[in-house]
Amino acid sequence: MSDGAALSGLKVIDLSQRYAHYCGKLFADMGADVVLVEKPRTGCALRAEAPFLGDRHDPDYSIPFFYFNTSKRGVTLDLEQSAGRDLFKTLARQFDLVIEDGVPGALDALGLGYEALARIRPEIVMTSVTPFGQTGPCANYAADDLTLLAMGGFLHMMGYPDAAPTQAYGNQAYAMGNMFGAVGSMLAVLGAQMSGSGQHVDISIQECVTMALENAAQFYDLEKRVRTRFAGSQRQAGTGIFECADGSVYIFAGGMAAIRFWGNLVQWMKDERVPSCEVLDKPEWSDMAFLNSDRAKEMFAEMFSQVARTKTKEELYREAQRRRVPLCAVSTMADVARNRQLAYRGFFARVAHAPSGQEVIMPGAPFQLSATPSRIARPAPQLGQHNREIYSALGVSEQKLAALTQAGVV
Amino acid sequence: MDKLPLAGIRVADFTWIGAGSYTTKLLADFGAEVIKVESSTRMDSLRSTAPFKDGVAGINRSGYFADRNTSKRSIQLNLKHPQAPEIARALIAKSDVVANNFTPGTMEKFGLGYREVAAFKRDIIYISMSMQGSSGPDAKYVGFGLTIAALTGLQYLCGQPDRPPAGTGTNYPDHVPNPCHGAFALLAALYHKRKTGEGQYIDLAQTEPTIALLGPAVVDYTANGRVAERCGNDQGWAVPRGVYPCRGEDRWIAISVYDDEQWSAVGSVLGPFTINPARVWRDHAVRREHKAELDRVIGERTREWDARELMRALQACGVPAGVVQNARDLIEEDAQLAHRKHWIALEHKEMGTTLYNAPPIRLSRTPATLDRSAPLLGEHTEEVCVDLLGMSRSQFDRLHASGVFE
Repeated sequence: MSDGAALSGLKVIDLSQRYAHYCGKLFADMGADVVLVEKPRTGCALRAEAPFLGDRHDPDYSIPFFYFNTSKRGVTLDLEQSAGRDLFKTLARQFDLVIEDGVPGALDALGLGYEALARIRPEIVMTSVTPFGQTGPCANYAADDLTLLAMGGFLHMMGYPDAAPTQAYGNQAYAMGNMFGAVGSMLAVLGAQMSGSGQHVDISIQECVTMALENAAQFYDLEKRVRTRFAGSQRQAGTGIFECADGSVYIFAGGMAAIRFWGNLVQWMKDERVPSCEVLDKPEWSDMAFLNSDRAKEMFAEMFSQVARTKTKEELYREAQRRRVPLCAVSTMADVARNRQLAYRGFFARVAHAPSGQEVIMPGAPFQLSATPSRIARPAPQLGQHNREIYSALGVSEQKLAALTQAGVV
Repeated sequence: MDKLPLAGIRVADFTWIGAGSYTTKLLADFGAEVIKVESSTRMDSLRSTAPFKDGVAGINRSGYFADRNTSKRSIQLNLKHPQAPEIARALIAKSDVVANNFTPGTMEKFGLGYREVAAFKRDIIYISMSMQGSSGPDAKYVGFGLTIAALTGLQYLCGQPDRPPAGTGTNYPDHVPNPCHGAFALLAALYHKRKTGEGQYIDLAQTEPTIALLGPAVVDYTANGRVAERCGNDQGWAVPRGVYPCRGEDRWIAISVYDDEQWSAVGSVLGPFTINPARVWRDHAVRREHKAELDRVIGERTREWDARELMRALQACGVPAGVVQNARDLIEEDAQLAHRKHWIALEHKEMGTTLYNAPPIRLSRTPATLDRSAPLLGEHTEEVCVDLLGMSRSQFDRLHASGVFE
C-alpha cells in the first residue's frame, strides 16, 4: 500500500503565482503528486525573482523558483481562455487539493472558485493564501512582505530602538502564510479523508504574522505594556548578542527559561578568571526586575565581553555548549553550509539543474520521518515540462494538445 | 455540526516552553484531545514568564503560557517518581500521538523513548522536537528560539549592513517555523496511518525548518559562492522600499514601490519628488542609484502624516503600504483582524476573561474551536486518571499520597 511516502496518492494542483510555493513544496516533498500550473510563455511570477543560478537572468535559473518547487511536476495553462478553464476543470475532477494565491475573488470570476470546484468534486479542498484573507476591509489592499510584516505587528519588534524597524530577512511573512497554509490544508485533507467533504481554507498572511509576536499581545492585554524592539542591547542581562574575535555569538543565559543554566555560565567566567565575576553568584541575578535594569546589563556586558572578544564564534560555541551554557554562533550562510550537525543528519540535498547541467546543494527535508521520509523526488519543473505527460493522462489527444498549444492555451 | 478534522485523536503531550506547546495546541484547537503532562518539580518555564494577569506573578497567571496551551487538559506527573513511568505508559497506550521537545535522552531516561513506546504501542506516532535532532555530534546542545535563530543564519541576516545583526526580536523559530513544521509532519504521518495502519517516529531538529525557509540564501552560497548579507529593508526590485516615520512617537509606515505607476501615485499623495528641478525621479534606475537620498526625502514628507491616514491614501492608489502596527494597534485598531475574529476572549479559572490568538487558519466547514482556556497546573489529573486511565478513587488517592502527582 505504501510506496514509502506519507502523502502518496494525494493529488494537488498548485496555482501559486508569487506567495504560496512553499506550501505545495511541503506536500510534494512528502510524496503528494503536486502539479504546478503556470501561465504559458511567462510562467509564474516567482521565476523572475533573484538571485539566479550563475546570475543568469532566465526563468529556469531563478533560485527561489528552483528551490520552492522541488518534487512538483509542471504544466502551462491559460485560465483566461475558456478552453483553458475547461481543461482545468477536467484536471480538478481528479485532484484532492488546490493551492492558490490569487487576488480574492479572481478564481470565482473565472468560474473556478471553491464553490464551483466543490460542485464538480465535493471532497476537494481549496487553500487560498492571500495578504489579508478573502474578505474584510483590507482584503483588497496591495501588499508585499514588508508591508505585511508591518501590518502583522512583527516589524515593530524588529530592529534597533534608535532607528526605523528592519525586516526579517527572506520573505518571512510569506513564509508564515505558507506554513499555516500547509497545516490548514493538511487538516482539511484529513477532514475530507474521514468525511468525504472538502472545504475552503482561508489564510491571511497578516494574521499568520501576528503569531510571531511571542507574548506581545498578551502583554498589552494583561499589563497594558507595548513591547518594542531591542536589537543591539540585551533583552535581559545575560541574553543578547556579543561581538567576538571573528563575528558574534548569541547567548541566552538570563531570564526565567534559562535560569537553570546560570550557574554553568558563572563557573565559566570564574574559570576564565574574569575579575569580580563572583558577584554573578548573588541572588539578584535570578530576579527579573534586576535583570531588566541597565546596571545589570552593563555589568554583564563588561564581564562577558572579556571572554567573548578574545575567542572565535566557533570556539565560544563549543566551549559554552561543553559547559551547558545556551550560546550559539551567529552563523553566516557559509557557516550553515559547513555545520557538522546538519552534515551528520544529511540535511542538505543535491538536486540536478538540467538547464545548466550542475548539481545544486539545497536544504533537504526539514523533519525526519522514520517510515515515510520527506525527500526531494525531482527538481523543480521547467516551464511546461510535463504538459504532454499530464494532459495525455487526462485523455487529451496529441492532435488536441497541438491545437491547444497553437492557440496559446498551453 | 461536522466533526473537527482531529476528533478522536488523543495526544500524550510532554512538550513544554514555546515550540512544542504550540505544536500540540494547533492539534487541540482542531479537535484533538491533548493531555499535557506537567510537573511542579520541573515546571514549564512559560508558566513563570510574563505577562501575568494584573501584573501579579503566579503559575496559573501567565498570558504567555495561556495563549500557547488552549484546548488542552493538564495532568501533573513527576516523571522522576518511581511509579510515574507506568502511569505515563498507561496514558500513551490510550493515545495516538506522543510529543516532546526535551533534550535527546530525556524521554529514554524514563523508559518513554520511541523504541520503548513502540514495543507496547506499535502504531504510535511519536514526535521529538529537540534543538538539533535526536543524534549527532551536537545533539545534546542547549538553546532557545533566539540562539536557534542565530545558528540558522536568520539572526545574521536581519538588520542594517553597518550595524550588528538585529535578528527578529522574538524567539521566532519557536512561534511559527517549528510548530508549523512539527504539526505538518504529524498530520502527514496521521494521513499515512489512516491509509496503512503504520505509525512512526518523527525527529524534528529545531534548526532545520528555519534554514529550510532560507533556502534561496543557502543556494546563493552553495551554487554562486555569495554569502548573503544584511540589507536593512531593501530587497530585490522594489525601490523605494522602506519604513518611514509618521506623526507621533515611534510611529512608522512601510511602503514598497514596484513600478513607475506606483511611484507616480506616491508622488500624487506625498507631493511630486523634484528635489532639484532638473532631476525628477521617474526612472527606476535613477531611483535605485539615489536610494538613500530618496529615503531621506520621503521620510521628511511622511513625518507630517498620521500613519493610518497615509496608508489609506496610498492604498487608494494601489501602492503597497502598511502601518507598522504594535500590539495595541492589532488589538484595538485593526479592522481586518477584527473582521476575521482573530482575538478571542476566553474565561480562565484564575485569570478571568483574557485575550487569545485564534489559530490563523479559517476552515469553512470545520472552523477551529478553542473549547477551553489554558488549564491550571494539574487541573485534570484526577479526571484523566479515573475517567481515562480507569483508576479507582482509592488507587488514585494512594498514588496521590505517594507524591507521584507533584
